[in-house]
Parts: sequence; C-alpha cells; structure tokens
Amino acid sequence: MSAKKRILTRAKECKKAYLELSNGIKFEGSSIGANVSVSGEMVFNTGMLGYSEAMTDPSYLGQILVFSFCLIGNYGIPSYKNKDFFMSKGHESSSIKTQGIIVSDIYDGCHHHDGGISLENWMRDQDVPGIAGIDTRYLVQIIRDNGSIFGKIVSEDAKPQDKSKFEFLRNFNNSEYVDPSKYNLMPSISTPRKVTMGNGSKKVAIVDCGAKLNIMRMLVERGCEVELLPWDSDFSEIQCDGWIISNGPGDPENTGGLVESIKKHVLVSGKPILGICLGHQLLSLASGAKTKRLNHGHRSHNQPVFSIPEKKAYMTSQNHRYAVEKNSIQPDWELWFENANDDSVEGIKHKTKPFMSVQFHPEASSGPNDTAWIMDKFVNLL
Amino acid sequence: MPILDFLLPKNAKKQKVILLGSGALSIGQAGEFDYSGSQAVKALEEEGLEVTIINPNIASVQTNKGLNKRVYLYPITPFWVEKIIKIEKPTAIISSFGGQTSLNCVIGLAKKGILDKYSVKVLGTQVDALEISEDRKLFAEKMKSINAPIAESHAVSTVSEALKTAEKIGYPVITRSAFALGGLGSGLSETATELRKLTQTALMSSPQVLIEKSLHGWKEIEYEVMRDKSGNTITICNMENFDPMGIHTGDSVVVAPCQTINNIENNMLRDTAIKIAQSLDIVGECNVQYALNPKDYSFYVIEINARLSRSSALASKATGYPIAYIAAKIVIGFDLLELKNPVTGTTSAFYEPSLDYVTLKVPRWDLDKFSEVSKNLGTQMKSVGEVMAIGRSFCEVLQKALRMVNENEDGITVNVFKNTSDEILEKELLTPTNLRIFAIYETFKRGKTLDYVYEKTKIDYWFLSHVLYLANVETELLDFFKPKVKKDNITAQEIYNSYKLITKDKLQRLKSKGFSDFQLTKIYLSACLNSKIKLTIKEVRSLSFSIRELRKKLGILPFVKQIDTTSSEYPTKSNYLYLTYNSIHSDLFTKKNEKSIITLGSGSYRIGSSLEFDWCSVMASGYFKNKKNDSVIINCNPETVSTDYNASDRLYFEELSFERVLDIVDIEDPKGVIACMGGQNPNNLIQPLSEAKVNILGHSQKSVDKAEDREKFSAMLDDLGIDQPEWISAVSLSDIEGFIKRVGFPVLIRPSFVLSGTLMNAANDQESLDYYLSLTKDISADSPVVISKFILDAKEIECDGIAKDGEVILSLISEHIENAGVHSGDATMVFPAQKIYVHTVNVIRDIVREITKGLNLNGPFNIQFIAKDNDVKVIECNARASRSFPFISKVSGINLAELACKVMNDEKVKKILIDESEIHHIGVKASMFSFQRLDGADPVVGVEMASTGEVGCLGEKFNHALLLSMESTQVKRPKKGILLSTGREKDKVKFMEVVDNLYKLAVPIYATKGSAKYLKSRGYEVNTVHWNRSPRAVDVISGGKVDFVININKNLSVDELHDNSEIRKMAVKCGCSILTNLEKVIAYLKACDSYEELQDIENCISL
Repeated sequence: MSAKKRILTRAKECKKAYLELSNGIKFEGSSIGANVSVSGEMVFNTGMLGYSEAMTDPSYLGQILVFSFCLIGNYGIPSYKNKDFFMSKGHESSSIKTQGIIVSDIYDGCHHHDGGISLENWMRDQDVPGIAGIDTRYLVQIIRDNGSIFGKIVSEDAKPQDKSKFEFLRNFNNSEYVDPSKYNLMPSISTPRKVTMGNGSKKVAIVDCGAKLNIMRMLVERGCEVELLPWDSDFSEIQCDGWIISNGPGDPENTGGLVESIKKHVLVSGKPILGICLGHQLLSLASGAKTKRLNHGHRSHNQPVFSIPEKKAYMTSQNHRYAVEKNSIQPDWELWFENANDDSVEGIKHKTKPFMSVQFHPEASSGPNDTAWIMDKFVNLL
Repeated sequence: MPILDFLLPKNAKKQKVILLGSGALSIGQAGEFDYSGSQAVKALEEEGLEVTIINPNIASVQTNKGLNKRVYLYPITPFWVEKIIKIEKPTAIISSFGGQTSLNCVIGLAKKGILDKYSVKVLGTQVDALEISEDRKLFAEKMKSINAPIAESHAVSTVSEALKTAEKIGYPVITRSAFALGGLGSGLSETATELRKLTQTALMSSPQVLIEKSLHGWKEIEYEVMRDKSGNTITICNMENFDPMGIHTGDSVVVAPCQTINNIENNMLRDTAIKIAQSLDIVGECNVQYALNPKDYSFYVIEINARLSRSSALASKATGYPIAYIAAKIVIGFDLLELKNPVTGTTSAFYEPSLDYVTLKVPRWDLDKFSEVSKNLGTQMKSVGEVMAIGRSFCEVLQKALRMVNENEDGITVNVFKNTSDEILEKELLTPTNLRIFAIYETFKRGKTLDYVYEKTKIDYWFLSHVLYLANVETELLDFFKPKVKKDNITAQEIYNSYKLITKDKLQRLKSKGFSDFQLTKIYLSACLNSKIKLTIKEVRSLSFSIRELRKKLGILPFVKQIDTTSSEYPTKSNYLYLTYNSIHSDLFTKKNEKSIITLGSGSYRIGSSLEFDWCSVMASGYFKNKKNDSVIINCNPETVSTDYNASDRLYFEELSFERVLDIVDIEDPKGVIACMGGQNPNNLIQPLSEAKVNILGHSQKSVDKAEDREKFSAMLDDLGIDQPEWISAVSLSDIEGFIKRVGFPVLIRPSFVLSGTLMNAANDQESLDYYLSLTKDISADSPVVISKFILDAKEIECDGIAKDGEVILSLISEHIENAGVHSGDATMVFPAQKIYVHTVNVIRDIVREITKGLNLNGPFNIQFIAKDNDVKVIECNARASRSFPFISKVSGINLAELACKVMNDEKVKKILIDESEIHHIGVKASMFSFQRLDGADPVVGVEMASTGEVGCLGEKFNHALLLSMESTQVKRPKKGILLSTGREKDKVKFMEVVDNLYKLAVPIYATKGSAKYLKSRGYEVNTVHWNRSPRAVDVISGGKVDFVININKNLSVDELHDNSEIRKMAVKCGCSILTNLEKVIAYLKACDSYEELQDIENCISL
C-alpha cells in the first residue's frame, strides 16, 4: 500500500531499471512489476484511461507500450468477476500481451469498486516488467520522430523472459533488438482451437488474428452465436451467416497463407464480412489493395475519422502501424472512412456486396463507443 | 460555405452580430466570461462580421475598442439591448458567451417578442433548448425521454409542497432553485426544520425550487461537449471534483482529466453527454454535470449548462483547446471538420485533446474579509477566484496549486492546524470549510489512516493517498533533520549541507513531488530552529536560496513542456508552456530574435485584485507582442484573458512565486521583467527579484520601497511639506493611548499581516477601539498596529498617471461619490471629476509632481487624496498600475497601460496635457457586491474592501452614467416600497436635501422609528417600523413590502453596526437593492430625477 511508501526509504526499495533504445538513447527509471528483462518494438498510446484494456489487447503483442499520460494505475485492474471466456469488461484477452510498459508515475494501490488488484501486482502475477519515472513525453517524441525504434527493459539481476509464453519469442534473442513484425505472429496469438459462444439465430464466424473480447461481447449482446476460428482453419468448411476478420498484431503481409485463404474461402462466400484493424488490412489485401507501414501509426482514443457517404465525423479508438494505400483500392470497392488528421484510409466498402472493413475499433474498449453502430449495421446485414 | 447565409456581407457591407457580456464580476460569474467573449470576438471578426458588445464591465478586455467592433457599456437587460438593437440593426445575437446573465437576457428578449420584431436571429443553441436546460422540470422530462438517469427530484413552489416531497423521497434532501447562477438558494437539509428555512429563502428569489435526493459522497464529474450544426460531437475534457458531491463545483478542488474513474465509467458518462447534447440540438458548447456512485456503475445527470461556463474556461486552459473560439466559429455556421485545431495548426478541430500532464484547480476564498460569514462550504458558491496548476504528478500539482492560491509560499505545509485539538480537527474534516485540505494534511501528520479520513470526508482514496504521502514526507524530513538540541540561529550553509546529505536522487524526488525550496527551508527550520524564533518571509526566502544553489550544482532543474492537445503525437509550435520536475528534457520552442520581456500577471482573482489587473497585463503583453519584442506572460489564473496563449508570444502557466519566476528568468534570459501591471501580487516580487539581480522594468526597487514603506513615504512627504493624516505604528497599547489623546477619535486601525489578510476597521470610540484591537492577536514590535486619524466628511480623490524618470507624463483626476472612509475599491468613482474646486485640482497636480519627483517614479502610478474644503492630504501612493486604469483609459480615450509600457520600454514619450473638461462623456464606476452568496455577511461598505467586481458606464450627464452603473450593479429603481433608516441627526438633516426626490418615486415609504419621527415632524407621510415589535423592520422586508433599502449607520460603534445589520442581511437575503452610504444615496436619489429622460434616450453611447 502506498501509505507505507516513504520517500527517503523507498529509493532503497525500488530497483533501478533502464530502457535502452535501438538508437542508443538510454533512460533511467525504477523497476515496476516483474523483474524480467524484455525487448520489443517501442510504441506509444496517448489514451488517458484504459491501461488494462490496452495491455491485454493482443494487437500489442511483441511491443513495449509507452503510456504518454503521466498517471497510470489509478483505478487498479478490474477484477475477473466472470469466470467464463469473456472475463469482465476491462480485459480484452485473458492475459497481458505487451512485452512491458513504460510510465511516468504509477499508482500502486487499488481502491476502485471494480478494481481487483493493483496494476503492479497484476504485472508481477503475469511476469510482465515495466519502468516508472520516465519522461514519457520526451520518449514519445523520440518514437514519433524515429518511426521504427526498438527497446529493451533491463535491470540488475532481472530474469530473462520465459520464452514459452508466446510462440514467436523462440526467435527472440535477448541481446538483440527485435522487430516483432518480421515474424508471422498469428500462431502466437490466434486461438488454438475453435471456440463457440453465445446462442442466437445468426451465426458469426470470427477469423481470430488476436481478436479483442469486446468484439465477441458485442456480437453476443446483439443476439449472435459466435464461432472463434484459429487463423489457419479451413474456412471453406465453415457454415455461418457472416464473417468478422479480427484485429491483431504485426504486418498484414506477414501472416502466412491467411490473405490467400480469406480471398479463396471468405470473399467468395458472398456473405457479409466486417474487417477490423488488422482484419481490415487483410481483407483489403485479399481484395487486391496494398498496405504500407506508417511512420508511428495511430494508437489513441481520439482519432477523428470522416465518413465520406454520411459527411459525418466520429471519434475512434485505434491501434495500428500499417494502413491501406489509398490509390490501391480496387475499382469495385470504395473509400468509406478517412482520417481527418492525415487523410489515411480508415475504412473501405464493397460497392455492391456486403463487405466492409474499418481500420479503427468499433468495439472500442478502451476508447469511445461512437462507432458501435457499425456492429449493428453488420448484424443487420446477416 | 461554412458561414451561415444570412451572415454574409450584404451589398458589400459587413453583417452585425450582438455579443452579450456578463456584466460585473460576482461570485458565480467571474472573469471566465471575459476570456470566452474575447475569444468569440476574435473568431467572429476573422470571418468578416462586425461585433457589437454589450457589457458594462469596463475593465474587461472584450470592451476594448476595436476596428470591427462597437462597445456599449450598458446594463445587460432586454430594455437596453432593445435600444441598442434599434441603433445597430444587427442580423443576429449570441447568448452563450456571457454566462447566466446573457442567457437570461436572450430568453427575456425572445419571450417579449423583441427578437422577432427586429428580425434578430439567435445564433447557436436555440431559445427553446436554453429554456429546457434552465427549467429543471422540463429538463427532468427531457432526460427521462432519452433514458438519461436523473436523481429523483420534484419542482415545488410552496414550502408545504417541499416538506411533503421530502417525506416521500427521504432526508437528507438537496434544494436547488431554478433560474439561478452559482447555486443561489441551494442547500442540504437533514430535517424538516432545516428544509422549511431553506425553501422559505429560496422561494423569495425564485418561483420554483427543486427538491432532490441527496447524493452525499458520490463523485462529481463534468464533461465539456462541443457539437456543430451537422451533429458532429466531441467531448473536449472531463473533470473530476476532489471534493465529492455536496460542495458546489465552483468551490471544489477540481482535477482534469478525471483520475479515479476507469474506461468503462468514462465512456458511459461520455456517451450520455453526447446523447444529451444531441437531444437538445446544442450548437456550440455545453457542459454536463454528473454524480457518479463510488460503489457501482450507477450515476445521475445533475445539470447541464447550454453555454460557455467557468468549467469550459477551465477545460480550455487545462487542455489548450480554445473552446470558446471554436464554439464561436460553430455558432456562425462552421462544422468542426472545416476547422483546424489551432494548437497544432495542421490537425482537425474535430478532436478530443489528449493530455500527458495533469491539472488541478483550487478555488480562492476571501471569507476572512467578511467577519460574520460562515466558512462552511456547501451547494452555494462562495469563492471569488481560482488558480490552476499543471504538472506531471498529482503531488506536484497539488503543491503548486496550494502555493498559487494563497500568495504565501507555504502551500500544503503551512501548518494552520498545528495547534488545533484532535476534536476540532475531526470537525474540520466532517464539515468542509475553505481550509479542509490543510486539515486533512494535519490529520495525516498526526498518524491517522486513509480509512479514517475517507470515512469523515468521502474524498476518494486515490486523492487522499497523495495527501498522506506528502504528510509522510514532511514527517520523515523532520525526523531526518531532528537535532539533539534546537538552535537559535541557522545559516544558509547549514541548510545547504543538510540537503546535500539527502543525496541527489532524493532531493530530485522531493522536487518532483512539488516541494518548493521555500517549503524545504521551512521544514528544516521547524526541525532545527528554536520554535521561539520567528523568521520573516524575507529571511526564509533568503535562506532558501541555498537550496537553489545546491540544486543548480546537482543539476536538479525544472524542464519546460508544451501543452499541445495531442500528447506529442504530432509536432507542435505551441507557445503554451509549464514547468515540471518530472522530466529530463525541455520541449523546444521558438524565440524571436529580440530578447524577451516578461509580464507578471495577477494570479488568482480575489477581493481587491481582479479583472482590471488582467486587463493591464494583457495590454502590456499585447504591446510588446506587437512591437518586435518577444512577449512572455507568467500567470496561473485560468479565468483570464492573459492566460489565453494568443495574448503573448509565450505563456508560462506557472506560479508567481520568487522561485518559479527565477526559474523562468533562467530559461528566458529576458531583457526585463514587468511586475507593476498585475496588482499587488507581482508587485511584492520586485524586492526579492531585484536582489537576485533580475532587471525589473519601470520603477526601481528603491522607488517602490519608498512608496510602500509607510515610514519612508511619510518622511518624504514631511520633507516635501505635503500634508497627510496623522498616524503611528503602534507597538504597545500605551502608544495607542498617547496617539488617541493627541488626535482624538475616530481612527483607522490596521493590524499587521495575518494569514487571512488584513482586517481594517474604523473606531469611533474607546469601546469599538477595544473591540477591534481584541480581534488582532497581539501588539508588538514584530506585529505593530498602524493607527491613523480618520477624517470625517472629506472627499476622496484619486490621480492615475504615468511618470518617466520622475517627471509626470500624464495625470488624470477622478473623485469618489462616497466620502473618505469607504475603501477605494468599493467606492463609486466619477471621471472626469465633477465636484472638485479648481484650487484643489491645482494643489493635487502640484503634489503629484512633487511625489513623482521625490520617488523618482518611472512607470504607472496612482495617488489617493482626501480633501476637505481646500485642504488636501495624501493617503497613499501605489507605484504600479491601479484598479482604475481601464476605467480611466476607456473614458479618457488614452490607454494608460500602453503609455506605461512605452515608458518602461524606454521609448520616447511626450508629456500629455489633457483638459479633462473636454472629455465628452462622464464615466461612473460602481462596485458590485456579492453579499447574496455570503450567508451571514453584513452588507455594509467600509474601510475594508468587500466588492467582487465593478462596472463603468458612460453618460452625457452625470445622472445618466450613475443610474446606468447602479442598474448594472443590481441597484434597481424601487417598485414596491422603500425602507429607510437615515442614521445620525446630522445625516437626517442632510438627507432632507433629497427627501422630495424620494417621494417622487411614488412608492410606499417605511422608516425605522427615529427616521420616521423626523420625517413626520416635517410633514411627510411615512409608515413606522420597529426593531422588536410589530410591524417589525425585518418583516416588512421578508414580507415583500419593500424592494429597496436605504440604511445609513448612525456611527461606527459595534452595537450600532449590529442593530442595523439584521435589516441589511434580510434585505440581501430577499434580493432588495440596498444602499448604505449617505452620499451615494443622495447622488442616486437626485439622479432618479433624470430617470425618465434616460429611459427615453435614443442614442446610446458607444466606445
């Protein structure tokens, strides 16, 4: 408890930790969470809330996440009230997916009515390290200005990371800076076996590329039966009323044969399809469009997108580095959403068929719910 | 086309839009509306519109003259606005930038059909939506229709209905009155008796009162929403009150963004806020307030404001997103997507700011200025100003804000409750007052737990744990430094060495938790210095310099960060800056080639230092910005125009403390610092800054010291042969006795500075002298009491001017309507002076010349005089810009603030000879009092300043200007009846001068016994009222028989003041106009002769 934290003694208690960046800059702070050394791609999120959602978001796999907001951990970690697959809100998967986190000031307590444990205890339980006391604003500027940058969290007598945690870690060498998007991350993050949940008259198949739980929650709430499929399933055998190609980590072009099987088995089905984030990129690739790597991507709760047919703007939650190239959109598809800040592609729609995909997260969690109507729209098409 | 069709130029002529201001500053409606209005003017002018401002607040920046702008200093009422509509023929009117006053006025204009009659369109949110937002019953229905949860509540219009309702929903209940700003007539009732009392009061000023379930202990949270005509909606910022429900937001410590809610709660409340804005078809800005259950996910919508508000100003400053500016663009037709985020210049205005820092607002109360007012905080707002701190940890902002708000440098470690018993401390936790945060700190220092304090206060654990942390740090430092024996003398070297022992890491940590060098020094002193030895602030400050040196040697320095709305996601050129120790790197910002000039702002508004000093600061920084100088502002008040980052080349939203100003000077390496434009607060920094070798522009430190040090100033006057009222600085009771023997009563008593501020009083006899002396702690060489001769029946005259190298460049003379004895901040001021002898003017000009020479003044000044017959005495000289600068500037047409800047910038200036009689109009500046908000305060004006704001109106005749300024400060022509008590025999005689004017008002006259007898004996018809038997004076007021109270004190004795205070308090409670000063009464009643003439006037005067 923070009450016992003492300024003159605490410095002795808390171990120093260092963030070493691939450009040679080194930050000093204090170790939080587990005393483990990790490496990963440096990314930042400017959302002011939702650290538990972000840390469990599978799209952050292989990354060290910097929270630009200065106070993290204030309301603890939502407790796992529901023991079922969905867990409770506030968790987007069953465990922390980030390699580690970097914060300015951490609150090591938990007083929120929905808080189970403190952020630090949760990180310790899950063997995830972090550093506090970092000038996150400066760090964000370095990441922003360098585009791709990688980092290592190191501290004295830290354990090496348990490589069995995720499949892709087998390739990671602790002494190197590793770019996770060089690997196909699907085997690490997709469900190993088919999972079915909810019951309803309409059946939705989700291609699990690292799907956030809230996508499933929203579909079940809307009366759907949901089938979560391993990424390498034979989609031709699936019986369903519509498809969701989920969000997930990594480079869309580095996903094994996934694009091909979406093209062959999902697109041809003619059933309604919704692509979200990585799923949007995969669907676009399958449609013949191209993707590109953005400088530092969009990771925040305040990305403004503009709906071209509606002439209306929405606030969205985003987490991606890759985007669809605008001039590569195929003639039978059209631009649906555009980013109001940098004009990048935020969504495309098929001109005649019920195919649509969005770069942002209509399932939010964390972030604004303003585009939840896209889920309604999708379910109504089924 | 972004701009609405009907606003496009017609026949190449620009369209006109009326923008209503908010009038005089009062509690609940303060400087934030000058900021909103000024931003709106800028936004509208940019789009080719001509703006007509109606606002009698002459000290505001928005009432400055402009190229595409007409300014009318008139009361914001449908009557006057209609007249101006007739003259200006505007296309449209905007209601949402002038607070409740302008909103009510536009609703009134619409209801009376005036807007239809002249085809004036309301821009932005429409009147029917405004009415829903204001009428609690309609609002409740609307919320139900969109499934937004509201607390069970019922509109009642009688006391018995209220009691019945409360029975049904269960006590405790909250009452709120409709159509009221700042929660007037609101309160918590635990019992039927309390409720009866409260509703009786509330129903006097409002036809409708709402009874609601009490949500005591729930979190109070606000969202600022922006919506355009196409329905694009964003929330700019959310804010959370440190104090849970039960304390008015204006009186709460507020953190932005919210800190104790999670993502689920945030989006639940955000979604509802957007839904509400949509349902009311808000176009522009609105604010939604919630109560959030700390135990589960339930919540209630408390209220919405369909206009810019104090919170929206705070949100603008907290995020950097210029809400009012964007809202103004939206109301004239733009969509958010058509606008750029002005902070980045490249990204869309359809954007929700992301912060990478935290801000904390702390209100400023001046309750000590009112001897009888209750210090308890509740649902009625009492604060008069606020500050905001920006930093990167909660401890940092908490400490910063608490230092900002009380202009001493102690902050949270001030130890006000050090000697308080545990029992009283517990009471302080249970019953919140303006000092509760210090009580919490002290409680933690005594070892109490988080649970204990939470149980008493219901303040969230997260907030409390930070206070606990700071208390632990102090305790630990005290332990660490504790010597075997306390010493009688501590050297700077010793402090340096001791903090060096702590090690660099830990000292860095102390700084990152917000401890100032001053506080660290004080902590060391309280650990090691013999408690009998008291050091002055100056001495502590000088010792604290050793910690600064140590820090610099160790490289522990604050870094500069930009506020950019994007958390650095995009590069920015933002000039909006703050300093933090939770950093290792400064953001880059661009400088002009010329060295910078730093203007120090005024800090929190308070009684005695308000909008007028912000006006001076804005003028100064604007002057240097337009020149090639690099203009920098330091200020920490979120309600101001000076903290709009457009007002300077760089804004440091920072503490106006010695340490922080020096930090910024180190960073800026400026040409100089201007400390004489922001009132007394920055003026006090001249001495230490000069000693630290900072170049102060304008008056030298020596001049300022000579003007401010009573002994030195007095000696100079004696040398120059200038007369002054007799005075002594008494260090013992026998000193006082001797003085009284010599000069006689009445006398003015001014105790030395105490934490709460000065309490100045006038004593008429030994008894009242003894009483007032009993209020001061002790009289000694360390805390002397200044006693001066109080001269009765004398005129008070002021001279504002500018001097260069001891020569007068310009001097302008104004007079007070009230005789000397009313604080110059409360007095009614006339410029040009109407009733001074030519000889007096000449004498005054001579004295001014000699004083400026004697002090070698080099900048703005204000000298106050009293004159009896042709005898002129000097009361004081302020070697700085004064409260009356904007008033005098706007009436005379000469901008005194700019002229002062020219002098301070060493530019060539010519002597300006002005014949005041050639100024076309007469200006009257009147004070606005907020007694209605201050339960228990006696609304009498005297030597201690009590007003919270002011207006200045113009007229071709004095009477017109006076009537307008009275109407603008809520002194309204009586309609029901007048209650009279005319004071001393001498005053009764004098009053006869205007008795016929009184009867011409043709309303029933009631008078207290003595006054009635006097009137009857001279053949006037009058209803007598009594103190203790029927018909009682107070009953006549509470019964609604009178709406105007004239109450002149007999004398300054304590008893007399108490007797009449019952009448005055009741008058305030019932919303009567009230005058307590004989000269003002006479002037007002005489002016009433011109009432009809003024009403018939066709040509309103514009600036």
